[in-house]
Amino acid sequence: MCLAVPGKVLSVENKNEDLKMAKVSFGGIVKEVCLDFTPEAQPGDYVLVHVGFALNVMNEEEANETLKLFAELAEADERL
Amino acid sequence: MKFIDEYRTKEPALALSEKIKSIISEPVKIMEICGGQTHTILKYNIEEYLPKVVTLIHGPGCPVCVSPVSMIDRAISLAGCKNVIFTSYGDMLRVPGSESDLLRVKAEGGDIRMVYSPLDALRIAKENPSKKVIFFAIGFETTAPANARAVLEAVRTNQRNFSVLCTQMLVPPAIEAVLGNPGVQINGILAAGHVCTVMGTREYEVLSEKYRLPIVVTGFEPLDILQGIYFVIKQLSERKSFVENQYSRAVKKEGNLHAKEIINKVF
Repeated sequence: MCLAVPGKVLSVENKNEDLKMAKVSFGGIVKEVCLDFTPEAQPGDYVLVHVGFALNVMNEEEANETLKLFAELAEADERL
Repeated sequence: MKFIDEYRTKEPALALSEKIKSIISEPVKIMEICGGQTHTILKYNIEEYLPKVVTLIHGPGCPVCVSPVSMIDRAISLAGCKNVIFTSYGDMLRVPGSESDLLRVKAEGGDIRMVYSPLDALRIAKENPSKKVIFFAIGFETTAPANARAVLEAVRTNQRNFSVLCTQMLVPPAIEAVLGNPGVQINGILAAGHVCTVMGTREYEVLSEKYRLPIVVTGFEPLDILQGIYFVIKQLSERKSFVENQYSRAVKKEGNLHAKEIINKVF
């Protein structure tokens, strides 16, 4: 139920002023997603989507920090 | 896919596994709260990467499983009514009520439609003005803002044939119910990342302090889970207990203020 999947914002639509919608690609599958909770999201951003709503813009910097830590761990593990 | 594939690689998993083994000194029981995390643990066989002294306890965090039977029965009886289109997330259709389930009602001729989003249910209401369209608004804090937004949109567009059967639940009281039971021995918790994406992490600080328990807000990919477990065990080995955010790429301390505002407005 609480599945949420990151997808890439392709374009933001301005048809309905009250309900901010966008086209979001999930590995090539494009769906309409509501951006009301993430009005800051821009084309190119990745948003975390749950039941048709973006819950957050993914934080690249934090993601890279985590990945850097994984890489360091794997490297240290190899050296042992 | 970006933000997913990088968190499913083998080498860091092995490294995290070694790290955990190197710091663990006594048996620990860790509860993952969310059913989505349980799914990852089983799918990727996460327990294979853990020392035998680590026990994972699967928590109460699945709204489908914890919905009261009385609510399922209400859904079933509404879905069987004439002139009603009953809309629901797919995972509720098979959940048994006391005598039937929604799929059986559908097989018997009930107009039950699976939707991906509450906005889809609202669209169905728009397209079927002569029918009453009911949406089964179920979920934890992750789903609450979407369900709330659909209600506000129905009000804004004066969609009078749209209504919701609402069974929203909160996670922290469920955790507290578990922790408050003296028979339960849990040494640490993996909090549900997506719930915290909406709500933030502050509510968990109270619980962590009260029960002196490491609580790590954790994501849903296999490396997230392993790192979450590592963080819990690291806190335990240092005799510490605080709220830590493993899922920082998606969770901010304050959560999503827009989503929280709409939850407060509607519920």
